[in-house]
Amino acid sequence: MGFTRLFGASARLRAGIEAQRSALYRLAFAWCHDAALADDLVQETQLRALDRAAQLRDPARLRSWLCSILANALRDHYRRSRAFENVDDLDEAVLADPVTPETTSEATRLAARVRAEVARLPLGQRQVVTLVDLEGCSYAEVGEVLSVPIGTVMSRLCRARAVLKARLLDAAPGALRPELSGRRVWIVR
Amino acid sequence: MTQEREISQEMQSAFVDGQLDQAEWARIAARLQQDEGARAEICDLRALKELVRHAYEPPPGGRPAVSLGTRWAAVAALCAVSAAAGWVGRSAWLPDAVEVEHAVAAGSSLRAVAGDRILVHVSSSRRDLIAAALDEIEDVLRSARQRGRGLNVEIIANGPGLELLRADASGFSDRLAALRATYPGFTLVACAQTIERLREKGVAVRLLPGVQVAPSALDQVVRRLQGGWAYVRT
Repeated sequence: MGFTRLFGASARLRAGIEAQRSALYRLAFAWCHDAALADDLVQETQLRALDRAAQLRDPARLRSWLCSILANALRDHYRRSRAFENVDDLDEAVLADPVTPETTSEATRLAARVRAEVARLPLGQRQVVTLVDLEGCSYAEVGEVLSVPIGTVMSRLCRARAVLKARLLDAAPGALRPELSGRRVWIVR
Repeated sequence: MTQEREISQEMQSAFVDGQLDQAEWARIAARLQQDEGARAEICDLRALKELVRHAYEPPPGGRPAVSLGTRWAAVAALCAVSAAAGWVGRSAWLPDAVEVEHAVAAGSSLRAVAGDRILVHVSSSRRDLIAAALDEIEDVLRSARQRGRGLNVEIIANGPGLELLRADASGFSDRLAALRATYPGFTLVACAQTIERLREKGVAVRLLPGVQVAPSALDQVVRRLQGGWAYVRT
């Protein structure tokens, strides 16, 4: 398939694909925590999307369509890198090289700590929680993007949040608990 | 009022994520009025949601993003006059063109691509695909020469496809060298982003002689499209 399909597609669709770039990058980064790989995945996603523009029947579904292409691109990457014997194990995979929190400002440190914990989640849970929290996807959309039933979406989400809560909010020392009264301040204990 | 069973984790998440219909939402909201423990749980979930959102806003950037905004617009403008073909599977060319100058006939080959500049994108390391692609390329270059027609064919390789252009990994180095020697219009371009990624993994990439490097495959594809090239992907 070539760009000809794209030629028949509307300019609005092409603009839409481009407009999603930064959101796709953010999501790709949240999934792999590797800036260079995230760049590659987004590039691949855009190329595939342009290549297959005709497959998108309903423009309202552009975002979930792009997210599912991204999910497939990541899957293909892991499959190629032969990190996993069985692709079905992918959803349970944790990043081999977890992010180490860089030390700069307080806010940066906090963000890095959260990212480090997200990185420790199995891929399947990491994808669900980031699609919901970063992209604001509905559970149904997440199920579509990742080709899993909605029940799986909900159970992965709950497991992910239980773990994040335990590691970020409950565990001491170093746990973060928001001070919810007045100004929104994050306290590092 | 009888004590209802406690609100499940799933319901709490769905509440925080705005995934409940109005009736369900109202029911949970009413329960929360009386259940301090559940309220605290909801608070934590909201806090987590916000923490995750903040953690990737903005996401830590790697390289500067390839700026495409204006380029896609250029591609759009080009579309009306450009001609290209679809390449499905091994070597089947399908008629995709809608608003192109020269339509491509069903079942025809790379020969059917109108225009004198063709960019072939190789992103796979599958030998059968690449062999088929090289056969097609050689065929179209030969036939153009026989007809006294100038033809440019460029291969842009990225991802696993880069293997084709690596001196240390290509299974087609002799074939590519022969094509290059025979047809000056045949050029090879590698994606710098892929090379850099391999380098980060400790792989020192050596490219075949004469291979040029573009900032990224996407960059090159867009640039060529702007230049009126036809684009096909293996």
